Amino acid sequence: MQQILKISIADFWLIFRDASLKTFLFLPLLIFFVILWALPALIKAFPIVADYKKYILIVSTIQLTQMFGFIYGMMLVDEKETGVAKVYGILPVNKIGFIIGRFFMPIIITILLTFLLLLVQPFYNLASFPCLIFSILSGLLVPVYAIGVSLLSKNRIEGLVWVKVMNLIIVLPIVAFFVPKNISYFFSVFPTYWLYLGLDQMIFNQYFMINWAAGFLYLLILLTLFSLQFTKKHYE
Amino acid sequence: MIEVNNIGFSYLISSQKILNGISFKIHQGEIFGFLGPSGAGKSTTQKILYKILHGYTGEIKIAKKPLHDWDKSYLEKIGVGFEFPNHYLKLTGRENLQLFGSFYNANKLKPIPELFELVGIQDAIDKKVATYSKGMKMRLNFIRAIMHEPDILFFDEPTAGLDPGNAHKIKMYIKQLKEQGKTIFITTHNMNTADELCDRVSFINEGTLQITDTPQALKSRHGKHTVSVLLKNKMQQEFPLKNLGTNPEFLSFINSQEVEKIQTMEATLEEVFLKVTGKTLN
Repeated sequence: MQQILKISIADFWLIFRDASLKTFLFLPLLIFFVILWALPALIKAFPIVADYKKYILIVSTIQLTQMFGFIYGMMLVDEKETGVAKVYGILPVNKIGFIIGRFFMPIIITILLTFLLLLVQPFYNLASFPCLIFSILSGLLVPVYAIGVSLLSKNRIEGLVWVKVMNLIIVLPIVAFFVPKNISYFFSVFPTYWLYLGLDQMIFNQYFMINWAAGFLYLLILLTLFSLQFTKKHYE
Repeated sequence: MIEVNNIGFSYLISSQKILNGISFKIHQGEIFGFLGPSGAGKSTTQKILYKILHGYTGEIKIAKKPLHDWDKSYLEKIGVGFEFPNHYLKLTGRENLQLFGSFYNANKLKPIPELFELVGIQDAIDKKVATYSKGMKMRLNFIRAIMHEPDILFFDEPTAGLDPGNAHKIKMYIKQLKEQGKTIFITTHNMNTADELCDRVSFINEGTLQITDTPQALKSRHGKHTVSVLLKNKMQQEFPLKNLGTNPEFLSFINSQEVEKIQTMEATLEEVFLKVTGKTLN
């Protein structure tokens, strides 16, 4: 725990020294603003928007993972580009433990923010336990996103390109709600498809656990594969 | 301290062997040099020794214990000075050392200001590393490698990017570390650094060790056993070292005019490398 705290403090120290990373810490404020004030005001002015509030809420909650996904993704890429990753490779820390330590705080913060957003959103009356489960699943997206970006990029420029691709992968499954059912299954290759589907079912009090279990398993497999590859490649 | 027996290594994506049955020993308190051109396998050997690369064949023992049996406590025992500067540029020099130092046993850490003073960059201790020159960043690399008092040190091109004055200081400090009983493994293609610092050197080429000996032995074995005498009148002649003191020809030559220079005709390490491997170092 002491090690986790030490790593987290060091990382926050680094985030606050980088203007572009620091700015991303304000992303949740923007998302909360949209859901709590902008969207209700928009619905009031243009009632037709109410038909889409569910989709906006689903995408907004998942967008909360973007904050630490982007920040940590870019931090890891930067460490690779500057050779700092090599220094971590020779530090007396367990490499898998180091990944867990690094992502512990961002995952916890993402879970809390997602949980809070689902509880305070003004559109649906959602039970807190399912909200918590969904928040935990969202939290798992952060390391998958960040490690994925770092594995695919050699430098910051490539990192920014892969962040865009990653955003697309995360948001794209929302299209599944607007296409015929037989086509919507194509989106199941994206891990967030299962989260979206489950959240949609939760909103309408349907059985959502199977979709979330599938999403959980999918994210866990990705995280394991990415972490193994990361420990092999990142420190070289 | 370090025993490497017949290690071989190749990357999964390539069938080509990067290391091909390399064996050497480094004793405690010894400076051992690994000399070879780029791509010879120097860095790969070092990466294996600091447990970044796995999947090698053969056996490595550190302090008589197999390398794969060492846990993370091994990384407390080693310090690595990388070839290129690698720091958080947005942090100050002090913050960089504080951050990386926080992972080591706090009781063994040297005071940070003392380290900066040691390499003459004390004025930049609280400046962002982005403002450092390459030489300053290399000196920061050096003090980061030694800040936790490791027993084994790996230096990759320790004087690269340094001006002659600072290169001299670093070399002197490496010698002091040797005096303290540290085991030091240097990889370089700078022959002067190797010649000045190393107790023994190995030549590595295409993943194979060609020869291992003291620089002096290599130079005299591959050089001519003669002395060259240059007189003030620019006349020059070579004489065999054997029985030089009683060689009448030599004695008469040096008495014929004022002597400007006498030098042995031993080879330079670079010449020895070329002779042994058929390749230049650059």
